[in-house]
Amino acid sequence: MLAKTKSYALNGVEGYEVAIEVDLNAGLPAYDTVGLADTAVKESKERVRAAIKNSLYCFPIRKITINLAPADTKKEGSHFDLAIAVGILIANEEIQSNIYKDYIILGELSLDGSINSIRGVLPLIISAIQNGHRKFIIPSKNAKEASYISGIEVYAFDKLADVVNFLAGNGEVKPLETSQFASIHRANKYDVDFAEVKGQFVAKRALEIAVAGGHNVLMIGPPGAGKTMMAKCVPTIMPDMTFEEAIEVTKIHSVAGILDDSVGIVVHRPFRTPHHTATVPALMGGGTNARPGEISLAHNGVLFLDEMPEYQRRTLETLRQPLEDGVAVVSRSKRTLEYPARFMLVASMNPCPCGNLGSKTQQCKCTPSEIHRYISKLSGPLLDRIDLQIEVDSISYDDFRSTALNESSDSVKDRVEKARAVQRARYVGSKTKTNDEMTNAQVKKYCALDESGEALLKNAFTKLNLTARASTRVLKVARTIADLDGAPDIMSKHIAEAIQYRSLDRKYWD
Amino acid sequence: MIYNDDQKALIMLSTVEGYAAKRKRFESVDRPRELYQDLSVADNMIAKMEKEGIGAVTLIDDDYPESLKEIYDPPYVLFYKGDVSLLKSEDLLAIVGARKVSAYGKNIMLNFAPAFIKSGLIIVSGLARGVDSIGHKISLDNGAPTVAVVANGLDICYPPENSQLQSKIAQTGVVVSEYPMGSKPLQYHFPERNRIISGLSKATFIPEAGEKSGSLITADYAIEQGKDLFVVPGSIFSAQSAGCNKKIKELQAIITLSPDDVVESLGRTVSRQSQTAVQLDMDLQSIINLLNDGGLHFDEILQKVDIDIATLSSALSQLEILGMIRKLQGNYYEIIPRI
Repeated sequence: MLAKTKSYALNGVEGYEVAIEVDLNAGLPAYDTVGLADTAVKESKERVRAAIKNSLYCFPIRKITINLAPADTKKEGSHFDLAIAVGILIANEEIQSNIYKDYIILGELSLDGSINSIRGVLPLIISAIQNGHRKFIIPSKNAKEASYISGIEVYAFDKLADVVNFLAGNGEVKPLETSQFASIHRANKYDVDFAEVKGQFVAKRALEIAVAGGHNVLMIGPPGAGKTMMAKCVPTIMPDMTFEEAIEVTKIHSVAGILDDSVGIVVHRPFRTPHHTATVPALMGGGTNARPGEISLAHNGVLFLDEMPEYQRRTLETLRQPLEDGVAVVSRSKRTLEYPARFMLVASMNPCPCGNLGSKTQQCKCTPSEIHRYISKLSGPLLDRIDLQIEVDSISYDDFRSTALNESSDSVKDRVEKARAVQRARYVGSKTKTNDEMTNAQVKKYCALDESGEALLKNAFTKLNLTARASTRVLKVARTIADLDGAPDIMSKHIAEAIQYRSLDRKYWD
Repeated sequence: MIYNDDQKALIMLSTVEGYAAKRKRFESVDRPRELYQDLSVADNMIAKMEKEGIGAVTLIDDDYPESLKEIYDPPYVLFYKGDVSLLKSEDLLAIVGARKVSAYGKNIMLNFAPAFIKSGLIIVSGLARGVDSIGHKISLDNGAPTVAVVANGLDICYPPENSQLQSKIAQTGVVVSEYPMGSKPLQYHFPERNRIISGLSKATFIPEAGEKSGSLITADYAIEQGKDLFVVPGSIFSAQSAGCNKKIKELQAIITLSPDDVVESLGRTVSRQSQTAVQLDMDLQSIINLLNDGGLHFDEILQKVDIDIATLSSALSQLEILGMIRKLQGNYYEIIPRI
């Protein structure tokens, strides 16, 4: 007797259909899985056998062959268990009905017959929808995650026995109700706020500009200056995620298995801080059981690299391509995976290895060659992708009683959203979304300067010894400042301000 | 260039390590050519030098700077790249100092060095990090020649990050060394090199030097060679000024408070550039007024003037570009004093 159930497998954050064919044959009792299954899939036979037995069904004592089609792609994960078990029971005629043919079945089995949560439910479902599927059976622990998608029938179960009853047509089960993203979104707040950062007006202004234009930022300052605190506040001033963006992020987090099952969707822009010992696969994604890396987990959010020069140079250099393209491409000999990775890079570093260079109160103990080596760990091409470089410093605020300048994140966010709206209108019909992504042609078109602006920029380069590569960066940042200002054209004052945010170009780092 | 046997022998003598050893060899013969029987080594050296555009001037040549002949242990040969006639100039001023230069020392250099250059002085230094490099760079920025005396062969650059600077100096000024091509910057080369820096120059100026700074060796040579030593006093709490302050305490140096102190005592007139008064708008003027009382942090300025962050950032840039203020590390701003 032959049975054929349907499941889905992941490739990156996209899914593809896997047909699970179960054949029961006469002969010596055996259980074989074919179709390039990895260890987790092969081991499923023990789980499936125990789960069927412990759910009080009969496990067939025959020659069982399982084929996972397409047979030439490698399959990973434990989420085929449920589909295999159902297939065996159908082949063994425990289930007589034919309705199973409409369902995509996902779930990992426990030995006692209960169904465990799996990773990647959301991306699997979304891919299946694109291929015309409408009905799903999933673990109830993953129910939240699947409930944000409307127009489909999702049934969530706790036990194998319940699934069998449902497919046999016994008893009535209702599909999941759709959750509303907006209500979840409102209920969750960030636990930090810009108003809590005292002083640091330059840095806060620079971060506002950076977020408004989608620029990457590098903060330079001594330990304890509040760089990490400010970085954590960056997501709070970013525009709220749209549902589509939230789904994109949730897909990636689901594949990585770090999704909060009680909420089921990522409502906040992610903030990821990989440790500086992170390896290339940890950052980019990949590994034997392919998972998205930190930069993909930061998709639509912030990737914060604290103490940037402490990272391995090789690791840092791999960031260059994703910073440009917004995708992390992991190439292996047998396949190529793509994970979305459009993030805002916020990096921090000390001005020198000991951190006291330029401090008014502390003596720097580093030798010039140490400082040189430290700074030069950041390669030119990488720095080229960081538009704003600002200095942050510890300063005592006892004298400053005024709190008028300590704005809340929400009021900053309002300005950011206005500037983003200006950009959306400007780049309608092009791939560019923010000023940071402007192509050279677009810089020429949208960053035209009047005579006084040109003169100022030229003067700045000779007087302040800015490097040539800074010019496009300054223009892009000036464009964002003008957008925040509501100005259609870049004016001299915008250029002048943009120049303030090019700290590493300064002479004193020589 | 054609060298005679005496010159060739002296060029070969440069391969002997250590000044005392060189002198012993030199004094053991009547004429330099008797130093070596076979001068083919010198021929090889000269061929290599010509490929690199390096010349040599020996103690017995007319081109050899008189000022060096007067010191106790003049180098027997000077290898050079660039305009060797600069070495005979009467306008040479040695500027040496801390490799790890503080904001204070940098400030002194930024104010003093351009004034020296304008009054016609040529800066001699050692191409080291810190004060030395700043001195050379300011010279180049102002289109003035400068002399770099290095402690290694001219085919090598130390510190390596200054290799561009070195080749630029060779174009408009001159790079000099008493060591033949291929010599590494050995530790004891540096004190030996320092006697040439002070020896070539009319006087030595030290903007900032720590207690153990190598520039104090140059200072001691200058005093030994009977030349003026100018130092700028620093805070008694600053480790980077300890060397300068010590020289003042020991009454060995002339206290220097402005570039004029050096320029006038070298018998030159101070050239003053007429400053055209810039008409500033209200915001800019109020910032200048604030900063006139001392450097301030960005946030402090923001608290004291009645303008928003964006306008202030923009105003500070404009003042920087006008050359009226400068930004220091850590978001501090200060007036550029007009000396």
